[in-house]
Amino acid sequence: MKGLKGLLILVFINSCGVVLSEEQMKTWFGDPDLQGTWTNASLTTLERPDQFKSLVVSEEQATRAEVTSAAFTEAIDNPYEEGETPKAGENVGGYNTAWMDPGTKLFKINGEYRSSILTYPEDGKLPRRWVRWGVEGPSIYRMFSQANHPEERSLGERCLVGFGSSGGPPMLNVLYNNHYQIVQSPGYVMILVEMNHDARIIRLKGNHLPDHIRPWLGDSVGHWEGNTLVVKTKNHHLQQRFRAAIRHQILITEDAEITERFTRISEDEILYQFEVDDNVAYKDSWKGEMPLREAEGKIYEYACHEGNYAMANILAGAREEERRNQ
Amino acid sequence: MKKFFYLLILISSFITEIYAEKDLPRGPLGKPDLNGVWQVLNSANFNLEAHAASAALSLVEGPVVPIPHPSIVALGAVGSVPAGMGVVEGGTIPYKKWALNKRDENKKKWLERDPEIKCYLPGVPRANYMHLPFQIFHSEKAVFFAYEYAGAVRNIYLEDPGPAPVDSWMGQSWGYWDKDTFVVEASGFNDQTWFDRSGNFHSEELKVIERYTLLNNHTMRYEATIEDEKVFTKPWKISMTLYKRVGKDAQLQQFKCVEFVEELLYGQWRAK
Repeated sequence: MKGLKGLLILVFINSCGVVLSEEQMKTWFGDPDLQGTWTNASLTTLERPDQFKSLVVSEEQATRAEVTSAAFTEAIDNPYEEGETPKAGENVGGYNTAWMDPGTKLFKINGEYRSSILTYPEDGKLPRRWVRWGVEGPSIYRMFSQANHPEERSLGERCLVGFGSSGGPPMLNVLYNNHYQIVQSPGYVMILVEMNHDARIIRLKGNHLPDHIRPWLGDSVGHWEGNTLVVKTKNHHLQQRFRAAIRHQILITEDAEITERFTRISEDEILYQFEVDDNVAYKDSWKGEMPLREAEGKIYEYACHEGNYAMANILAGAREEERRNQ
Repeated sequence: MKKFFYLLILISSFITEIYAEKDLPRGPLGKPDLNGVWQVLNSANFNLEAHAASAALSLVEGPVVPIPHPSIVALGAVGSVPAGMGVVEGGTIPYKKWALNKRDENKKKWLERDPEIKCYLPGVPRANYMHLPFQIFHSEKAVFFAYEYAGAVRNIYLEDPGPAPVDSWMGQSWGYWDKDTFVVEASGFNDQTWFDRSGNFHSEELKVIERYTLLNNHTMRYEATIEDEKVFTKPWKISMTLYKRVGKDAQLQQFKCVEFVEELLYGQWRAK
């Protein structure tokens, strides 16, 4: 058997048939190797859109979703008919698609297209105790419309962390900047979240921080179960309770416990799974999974705060509006 | 006898060198292991050049001697400046005349101009000698720096990526090994960062060549050669020691100061 040590050992074959050797799957200090630059950009969203009735969907349904998304993208870039111009005072919209990178396809797991990241509850909907579009409580509308104080605005606009739950946990796909870089050193796994240049430094031993220390992106401690990195995160930041993006709105309360599992399933793919236990905000735990695919190219600097003219303009604009209405 | 004595010294220094190299903790690919949480123990971030202690970074004329700027009087001793022996080789930064004037003006207008006050990304080499530590993740595939200050990061490419596609705050870095020294070439900066709290600055033509040399398990020599023909008459160099944190202190904390400066930057537009 010793003579076989140098040979390729088939440890896992994913749906694409990419084979990894035992050596390729280990770092220089012997831990399973998750290193690389990854993306979770995908049309698949956290919750299952109403047009889908099952977690696994057909190729035809997946193609239809791609076509619909492409048409939507086209409409964003070309909102007017030829010769048509915006009317005075009309909202001319925000970004065009040059600034977006939401993915163009539903993701596949085990070769099957998925309609939601959520795998549990089985209906693909969050078991909320709170009303998503309610007048009271967390609301994406209120977050993007209040302008009395900077602290009322979304964390993404404040350049504190990325929009929604981009940095996690759980790390969810958003409209753009869906990239992650993983670097490992003895005792640590570091995940760079592109938006907002956040290094999630996961300790592989030790205890959680005292309760009153609540870092942005929570306090994560990990361990290995075979080839799977299991990360438990507690001590969530009080201001990171409501995480809102166009594609998902979730509530993570202070005492929630989140478990993430990272498994390298091929040279160019990590299976990312998570479970959220939060009895305050949800009637049940919820679980999800999605692939992190190898990203092409490099991650460039995400400098947000340094050019955040928008925050000053939002607040100053609101004050000017008040002045005029007096 | 004299020849024998010199021979002994030669052999002894040779043996010392071999053992010193052998003693270095080795990391990926047999190179010195740079992993850890590192920090300087100097006052370079106050002023790269040698300086005496003073009442404040920003002083205004007083009835007898200069006194702290009204905006920082309330800080008392906390707002004062510790002395430093300086880290610039030769003692003085070789500014062109116009640039020296600008540095002096920057120093006078420190409260308005220092990007650190606004929690902007610190740039290079400043990030390495701020008052907060940074963690190096050194693997066979990547070298990555995570800074506590402002959550700044640097991914050090291990192959030359060519010219940076766009200017940035932390620039573009790529590194290679020169024997046991990790050399990082950083360029592609914008002109917005400073070198310290004393107004020392650069242009977008800045190039920094850094040398990280592990001395033993606890210390590392850090040298940086600064090139910027627009601002300086010649390249110049800083050097200092980085110390490795141990035990409970060897855990990088968060200092996401963006939140801490919202009142400074946006307070004037709050609803009354």
